[in-house]
Amino acid sequence: MRNHESPTRALHHSDHGTPLRATVIWVVLIAATIVTWSVGENGGSGPAVVGLLFAIAFGKGALIILDYMALRRAPLMWPLLALGWMTLVCALIGIAYWKGLAA
Amino acid sequence: MKYSSQSVAMPYFIAAIGLFVGQIIFGLVMGLQYVVGDFLFPEIPFNVARMVHTNLLIVWLLFGFMGATYFLVPEEAETELYSPKLALLMFWIFLVAGAATILGYLLVPYSTLAEMTGNNILATMGREFLEQPLLTKIGIVIVALAFLFNITMTMLKGRKTVISIVLLMGLWGLAIFFLFSFYNPGNLVKDKFYWWWVVHLWVEGVWELIMAAILAFVLIKVTGVDREVIEKWLYVIITLALVTGLIGTGHHYFWIGTPEYWQWLGSVFSALEPIPFFAMTVFAFNMVNRRRREHPNKAAVLWALGTGVMAFLGAGVWGFLHTLAPVNYYTHGSQITAAHGHMAFYGAYVLVVLTIISYAMPLLRGRAANDERAQVCEMWGFWLMTISMVFITLFLTAAGILQVWLQRVSDTPMPFMAVQDQVSLFYWMRLWAGVVFAAGLVTYLASFFVKGESKPLIHA
Amino acid sequence: MNTCVQTLVSPSAAPAVASDGSARRLPGDLAIWFFILAELLAFGAFFLAYAFARANNVELFNEQQLALDRNAGALNTILLLTSSYLVVRAVQAAEAGQSRRAATWIAGGFACGAGFVVVKLFEYVAKFAAGVSLSSSTFHMFYLILTFFHFMHVILGLVILAALWNGARKGRYGPGNMNGIETGAAYWHMVDLVWLILFPLVYVMR
Repeated sequence: MRNHESPTRALHHSDHGTPLRATVIWVVLIAATIVTWSVGENGGSGPAVVGLLFAIAFGKGALIILDYMALRRAPLMWPLLALGWMTLVCALIGIAYWKGLAA
Repeated sequence: MKYSSQSVAMPYFIAAIGLFVGQIIFGLVMGLQYVVGDFLFPEIPFNVARMVHTNLLIVWLLFGFMGATYFLVPEEAETELYSPKLALLMFWIFLVAGAATILGYLLVPYSTLAEMTGNNILATMGREFLEQPLLTKIGIVIVALAFLFNITMTMLKGRKTVISIVLLMGLWGLAIFFLFSFYNPGNLVKDKFYWWWVVHLWVEGVWELIMAAILAFVLIKVTGVDREVIEKWLYVIITLALVTGLIGTGHHYFWIGTPEYWQWLGSVFSALEPIPFFAMTVFAFNMVNRRRREHPNKAAVLWALGTGVMAFLGAGVWGFLHTLAPVNYYTHGSQITAAHGHMAFYGAYVLVVLTIISYAMPLLRGRAANDERAQVCEMWGFWLMTISMVFITLFLTAAGILQVWLQRVSDTPMPFMAVQDQVSLFYWMRLWAGVVFAAGLVTYLASFFVKGESKPLIHA
Repeated sequence: MNTCVQTLVSPSAAPAVASDGSARRLPGDLAIWFFILAELLAFGAFFLAYAFARANNVELFNEQQLALDRNAGALNTILLLTSSYLVVRAVQAAEAGQSRRAATWIAGGFACGAGFVVVKLFEYVAKFAAGVSLSSSTFHMFYLILTFFHFMHVILGLVILAALWNGARKGRYGPGNMNGIETGAAYWHMVDLVWLILFPLVYVMR
């Protein structure tokens, strides 16, 4: 086994945050999932409910992208691409939902 | 050249280029027949010319792939070829069988050819691109098996690299999917369903592996970039190519009587097929930008970069144009398909074969690179062929859009032949672009005969 | 073209500086991020195809969605999120030079991912028994295609986690060698990320 307790370690800047931060985020993610689940179990529907669902999905996605995927410290292009994808997908799902209401 | 057995690649490359010339001659004949319908009739009717044009393309690309493999695998495996004699024997069998088949198309009526070659025992003929007589098909299988045996044995006794494994996967896939050309069910839907397993799974599946492997090999050689970096890209590219290409077969299942879900699967996955090609483009430019050496063979670098760009345009962009089911509903089987077919085959497969030929031929002739003047001549060939192919594609696209409009979208649709008259101006322009392409091909051929001082061999 | 490709391919060539003064860095291998973007495009295309097909068939989708097992869907969300969390802990452990501890965290992540597979298989068995197939309705087609495409990604992710576990156990990862574990972890988080949209879209939105 190679020894990784090298002097560079002291200089190495953490890109992945602290365990505490990761744990707090996990709790938030689980709580948000329970909200989404209970909306489904109560048969919630309508624009406000769907808006809430995808606001939650976007928030969860942003936490995954920025913290778990550690793009917070990546060159700006990468978090912007990933968050842009989330925004686009959620927005277009919203438009499709609205189109279904009108029909 | 590091291993003497690599030299068996030479006849394969020469045959490939020779058949390429034949393909272009028949392309010109057809280009003229589009506008002068009775040109060379009844000696060479349009359907025969078309069959020869497409069959020659496939056969010369196969010669190119085999030559590339014989050149590449010993070098990657760091050992001599298992049996150079077998390779040469297969070369002659394949060449003679190929030539006899083409002569059969030209000299004998197709139905007579079918009778003569046992089509009544097992009917496999008469289907687009799989027109070959039963005997030829069996010959192809034998040659392919002998070839794969030779290559696999070579790899087993030598170093196994990612490049040669990907190449071998592609070649095995090529041979296995060809077996579906023997399956010809009476049900027309089933017939078409499995017909695509040869046609589509070749060009949008396993051939892409072969192409990526050859491109990666040449890029390692001419740029000196670490193998590890190139292999990582290769993994990404082949995964994307396989996933999008295999399920993308669905874009041929829109209107042939298959279940509706193919419209969704086919549309979405084939819409993603440009991604691996885009990755290949980025890969090629990135590797050349990060090059660690200035390879004297500038022409090979140009062909490699050209492959990246033209494959993305032809296979990726022009494929995407008409791959979504709602669009394809109108464009199916129009000149837009022909436009895509031309640029995709040229950009992806013609160029990758010419890339490896450009890299390997000087080495096979005992020098690292050709003289400056020969390379300039070769690069003129590249630009003439590539630019004229862009124009062929653009003219066919214009013809296709007009055709779809007049024949299918319009409130008062015109009959097929009347529309053909309306778009004939584009066919004329396509023909002239084809003449320039032929001039480019002649320039390319001439580059092999330009004399000059050769660069000394370097060892990569 | 050259400069464009250059920035796209080697963002680390000219490191931008983060607010706290350390250099910005893309974790893991560039190739995997290219792959992840391609995957996001693929899933995005399917999500939108679902959403717009639904807009033309709202009643059918609303009716057949009721038959889906939301409990299984939610449980699977929790399994994937927890698995992602455990993999983050593994990466942090590797960053702290504790490769073997990272292996334990990865094993936990793998177990949660395997749990997802088991739950999903039970769900599929129930659906197939109820006569759901690709051709039984537009909604069923989308349900099967979307979830199965994702399911295959979970399987691939588990293979990657197994490879990471093996590497971590041998002490391969540490502050000087984060590339492999960061690359695999990024892929696994992507599998989680797309499920976060898939679940409300297919199981809940009505």
